[in-house]
Amino acid sequence: MRHIILIISICFSNTLFAQTAKEIVQKADDKMRGNTMQAELIIKTIRPTWTREMQCRTWMKGNTLAMIQIISPAKDKGIAFLKRKKEVWNWMPALERTIKLPPSMMSQSWMGTDFTNDDLVKESSVVEDYDHSIIGDTTIDKRDCFIIQMIPKPQAAVVWGKVIVCIDKKDFLELHSRFYDEDGELINTMNSYDVKMMHDRIIPTRFEMIPADKKGQKTEMIYKNIQYNKPIDNNFFTIEKLKTLS
Amino acid sequence: MWLIKMAWKNMWRNRNRTIITMAAIFFAVILSVIASSLQKGIFDNLVKNVVSFYTGYVQVHKQGYWDEQILDNSFESSAATEQKILQDENVTAITSRLESFALVSSADITKGSLVVGINPEKENEITLLKNKLTQGSYLNDDDNAVLLSQGLAERLKLKAGDTIVLIGQGYHGATAAGKYYIKGILKFGSPDLNDKTLFMPLAAAQDFYSAYGMITSYILSLKDTRNLQATASSIRKTLGPAYEVMTWEEILPDIKQHIKADSSSMKYIQGILYILICFGIFGTLLMMMVERKFEMGMLVAIGMKKTKLIILLLVESVFTVLAGCLLGIMASIPLVYYLNRYPLKMGGETAKAYERFGFEAIFPTSVEASNFINQGLIVLVIGLLLSLYPMYKVIRLNAVTAMKR
Repeated sequence: MRHIILIISICFSNTLFAQTAKEIVQKADDKMRGNTMQAELIIKTIRPTWTREMQCRTWMKGNTLAMIQIISPAKDKGIAFLKRKKEVWNWMPALERTIKLPPSMMSQSWMGTDFTNDDLVKESSVVEDYDHSIIGDTTIDKRDCFIIQMIPKPQAAVVWGKVIVCIDKKDFLELHSRFYDEDGELINTMNSYDVKMMHDRIIPTRFEMIPADKKGQKTEMIYKNIQYNKPIDNNFFTIEKLKTLS
Repeated sequence: MWLIKMAWKNMWRNRNRTIITMAAIFFAVILSVIASSLQKGIFDNLVKNVVSFYTGYVQVHKQGYWDEQILDNSFESSAATEQKILQDENVTAITSRLESFALVSSADITKGSLVVGINPEKENEITLLKNKLTQGSYLNDDDNAVLLSQGLAERLKLKAGDTIVLIGQGYHGATAAGKYYIKGILKFGSPDLNDKTLFMPLAAAQDFYSAYGMITSYILSLKDTRNLQATASSIRKTLGPAYEVMTWEEILPDIKQHIKADSSSMKYIQGILYILICFGIFGTLLMMMVERKFEMGMLVAIGMKKTKLIILLLVESVFTVLAGCLLGIMASIPLVYYLNRYPLKMGGETAKAYERFGFEAIFPTSVEASNFINQGLIVLVIGLLLSLYPMYKVIRLNAVTAMKR
């Protein structure tokens, strides 16, 4: 009898465990994104011989709608990007023109950073498009973390071959991620620091993106303030609005 | 002494024969001088053309720029560096450029283009940019305008007076975007330049690329282009390892190789010319020996030593060859100068093809002094070598058979 209970409990815990991997990722994702999100952030491009700082404002709604506007440096002020589903438009005030980014430009650097234009557009959901499994535990900055391996589903439009994420057990914070290509080669590493109370939740506020093959190069994102779940109308995410943002 | 006197008398005993031999050498010298001065002149002209298209004779960049031609490899322009370069006596002019690629676009059409920030006046001194203007007017230092190459303007369907939009990436990842007035259209011979270049004043380009005070290269022009390598290495020494100094030969290795290949084929042509010259001179010598067979047989028969006879003949040929050479050089100098002043012009289709690529359709000659001397010496040596034939004949001479009629 005791054996049976043990077996059942093991089976149960297994299924429970498999679900939790997905749930953990879901919780972490929800926490970071919210339903809508408005934020002000600083993006630092760090190169071996120079660094550059940009300030921008973002609006996001779900996975599909987003807008980014550059506030500084003065020369770039007013440059804005609109993402609707898979398409990106770029408003250049100096040219008084919107440019729809062609597919050929998607793999190019976004505003000179280590992010590509494609990083802005990717619609893939870390929850829906991957199979998740917990492969271990670790400690990052004195926080206990799950190590979760995410393998993209065959039909998902994902460029990675494998993603490893470390998510904090208590607050569900994504503290470290590694992105691998189809050959299992490390491409990008993302680290998160400075866990703080922002608006209504505790989240990391400084992220760094380190490309594996370029020495001394990285991009840092620092959130100055974030507002979650403040309703934004769908009509906000239009080309007309892009031009009149200020 | 009497030998020389006798040689002199011998030469003028049969005036026609001597004159014919001299004439053979005279024309040989003129031919080979003109051939080689044309060759040299054509290549010099080609280099002058190509270099004045765009590259200049010598360029100075930041170390490593040539391998990775990006804005981040630019350097700060400074009057001190310019002074250092201008200290070299062979450098006549210097201008700075800021070059990078950007997208240029009219209403609906977009093309990639080389966007070059220039110092309008100084650039004109070196690459004669103003002469390439076909429409509109030339740039001023503080214009916020551009000059568009003709091919690019046609593709974008733009003309002088329109507005063009540029977009690209600037210095240190900055965004480069701007609208500019098209002040003029430039026509370049080289299709490469004609299809994708755009010029703007340096200040405007530095603002566009957010590369304030930066330039990617110094372009130098030289007084004496033959001292190219020496000048380049002396500048390299003064500037130190932070800069790379490149000659046009390194920047345009294809042109250098073309000249090398062409001049080696010219060597064969010259070789054939020399063989023709040999036969011309040899023919006259052969005739002379046949005509004077009896005379020589008689001289030997009455007791003249063969060595004396040989010396006599040598002196005679040295006189004739030398006189022919000197006359030839003297005659070729005005001829070559004339052809340098009023070069041979190509006509018809060839000329059009040349002009389409921006080359002058002319064959100028080079008036380098060394050329005359070298060719004169070569013909002199040929003449002297050939006069070994009479020597050989004299050594083999049998007085009795020679005198048989």
